[in-house]
Amino acid sequence: MDIAELQAYGYFALTATLVVVLYGYIYHLYSKKKDADGHDYEDYSNMALKDDITDTPVSAVSDDKEK
Amino acid sequence: MENRPLEYDYTVAKMFMFTTIVLGIVGMLIGVILAFQLAFPSVNTILGEGLAEYTNFSRLRPLHTDAVIFGFTLSGIFATWYYVGQRVLKVSMAESGLLMFLGKLHFWLYLIVVAAVVVTLFMGITTSKEYAEFEWPIDIAVVVVWVLWGMGLFGLIGIRREKSLYISIWYYIATFLGIAMLYLFNNMEIPTYFASGGIGSWWHSVSMYAGTNDALVQWWYGHNAVAFGFTVPIVAMIYYFLPKESGQAIYSYKLSLLSFWGLMFVYLWAGGHHLLYSTVPDWMQTMGSIFSVILILPSWGSAINMLLTMKGEWQQVAASPLIKFMILASTFYMFSTLEGPIQAIKSVNAIAHFTDWIVGHVHDGVLGWVGFMIMASLFHMAPRVFKREIYSKSLMATQFWIQTLGVVLYFTSMWIAGITQGMMWRAHDEFGNLAYSFIDTVTVLHPYYTIRGVGGLLYLVGFLMFAYNIYKTMSARPVEESELQNASPMGA
Amino acid sequence: MFHWLEKHPFFFAVGVFVTIAFAGLIEILPNFAQASRPVIGTAPYSTLELAGRHVYIKNSCNACHSQLVRPFKSETDRYGHYSLSGEYAYDRPFLWGSKRTGPDLMRVGNYRTTDWHENHMKDPASVVPGSIMPAYKWMFTNNADVDTAYAEQLTVANAFSVPYNEPVPMKDGSTKIVKMGKNLAEARALALAEAKEIVADMKDQDVKDAVARGEIPEIVAIIAYMNSLK
Repeated sequence: MDIAELQAYGYFALTATLVVVLYGYIYHLYSKKKDADGHDYEDYSNMALKDDITDTPVSAVSDDKEK
Repeated sequence: MENRPLEYDYTVAKMFMFTTIVLGIVGMLIGVILAFQLAFPSVNTILGEGLAEYTNFSRLRPLHTDAVIFGFTLSGIFATWYYVGQRVLKVSMAESGLLMFLGKLHFWLYLIVVAAVVVTLFMGITTSKEYAEFEWPIDIAVVVVWVLWGMGLFGLIGIRREKSLYISIWYYIATFLGIAMLYLFNNMEIPTYFASGGIGSWWHSVSMYAGTNDALVQWWYGHNAVAFGFTVPIVAMIYYFLPKESGQAIYSYKLSLLSFWGLMFVYLWAGGHHLLYSTVPDWMQTMGSIFSVILILPSWGSAINMLLTMKGEWQQVAASPLIKFMILASTFYMFSTLEGPIQAIKSVNAIAHFTDWIVGHVHDGVLGWVGFMIMASLFHMAPRVFKREIYSKSLMATQFWIQTLGVVLYFTSMWIAGITQGMMWRAHDEFGNLAYSFIDTVTVLHPYYTIRGVGGLLYLVGFLMFAYNIYKTMSARPVEESELQNASPMGA
Repeated sequence: MFHWLEKHPFFFAVGVFVTIAFAGLIEILPNFAQASRPVIGTAPYSTLELAGRHVYIKNSCNACHSQLVRPFKSETDRYGHYSLSGEYAYDRPFLWGSKRTGPDLMRVGNYRTTDWHENHMKDPASVVPGSIMPAYKWMFTNNADVDTAYAEQLTVANAFSVPYNEPVPMKDGSTKIVKMGKNLAEARALALAEAKEIVADMKDQDVKDAVARGEIPEIVAIIAYMNSLK
């Protein structure tokens, strides 16, 4: 087995992994629809729409600290 | 100390807005001069024979590309970062003296590097590698500037109030990492002065890679400098500014996340398409070709997401020139991310490579997508940064149409020029001899070069109108905070 | 896993970096050693040729001229044999270019002469009617930087074992030795000797006088370089 062959296997394995991860991510996004904190992903659009410094964050860092 | 409410601090954003405009004018002006030099060679000695060395095409060409990429676009990226970053992280730079200091240092060092680049390129000090022309002392300074930006970027993320990172921030992070990696590896070079014990020019260096390897690394860099300079950060901008200006939530936030990872994975592979039919191994060329075509998916994922964000709100496109800029930018993004993969198909590339079609492709991306999006971003930022309404809406609308016409003239003429030349190069007569000498394929391009020059000039005129509009905005009617929620306030 | 990544900027950055670095690792690294082996007939640049190459780079000739002949009949008819990877083994940096506003120069030494270049660089349209190339008159008065070329030779000889002062195999079975001076004075003398051969075929009296005085104008160096492109 020379370096080129190793390279080919390595390439294939890594690409396959990344493809699986990407599709897993698609499945995850559309099946769960909500992230770990229970926020709907689409809520995050509000990070741009309500971005005044006085607006309430979609998920505040300080929430974590209070727990 | 008086107890004022906390506000976002746009000091550094303002500084970079200034360089965006100034360097944009410089880069585009040089571009127009270059275009007319190709149409009318006497323009090469526009300042007389004595200065011909500094005004001819070959000295100005790297200045044009670098002024537009590292002057105009990079300034635009920094300006929008220092604006968007604070807002979506909901933290003000005024809250951290260190970040403010880093930001200002970042700006001033950046300005010094820009000055050094201008001087050295005029002198002809270059490594010849496209978009990486700077010699080693400047490379080191570039790295310092980049690290300063990175410290500011991750510093701001570190003190954020919003726990999740908005999609634009993802793209800014990717820009930072991507350029850092590419720039470092492509500029591996040995300073000859030190390696030879003090002989010759101290700034000269020699590449660590030779020939085919050098080409491979260079186009891995060159292509991805486009990815992480002209695509990724501009996507960051549109994901913030279009929803904000229109008041519409992103059509599908999930799709934006997917497109991000797709783009990250696919883009880097596509660099090989610059080297089709060259001496790099065949499988890499094929890989470059295939991945370029796959690249359509994540690119269109973002672009369609943006267009669908306007779903049911298309009257805004008609009403607001600012939205027009962004929608046209998004459309040009779709267009050039379709055109690029087509050119990367091997048999198309055989005709297109080395011709003006490639130049046309770059420019519909940069003028249509990058330029329009950065100008739109600055238009959106100006009222918020200066607390005044945009000076003139009608000027903005006029600018939009002038520049759109300019872009269309530019890329249509370059299409025709490129395909004409590509076909003439390969034409054989009935005896199997070449049908045209090289100069035949040059003189035939004269009308297209002239049209291109006019197109470029129109775009420059539009950009000067933009600069004037922003300048006058600084002294326009002051506005209340409540007017700045979504659609930007504009004067007549 | 995905949830976690979204909330941890550092690991998110690592993930992005791995994803983008992946292509580079696979595509570029493995072929490095193989691609840098010279083919028979490829010799390193002499001091004067290298100085000429620097003039070529200084004036961004590569912005309009490629040095890459693709394997198509129309290209081999026009420019000669298609390019081989090993022919670029001593090219640091590579000068393939990305745009052919003017013709390819990969093998220009095969079909253009010193005399042709001299006239062409002074006034391109006089040699090629309709040419849009600018004139490069300053090359007749600026002097080439031989010292830096020598410094670069020393550097590549030490760092990359470029075979100076060693026999290099040529296509006809013979060998060729490209000389590199042992010190700066010797390097200058070698370059000047080479320059004298070039100016013997030139007409410009000022350039001839300059070389007689021991100077080497840029035009002489760049012609030496272009004559070496075969």
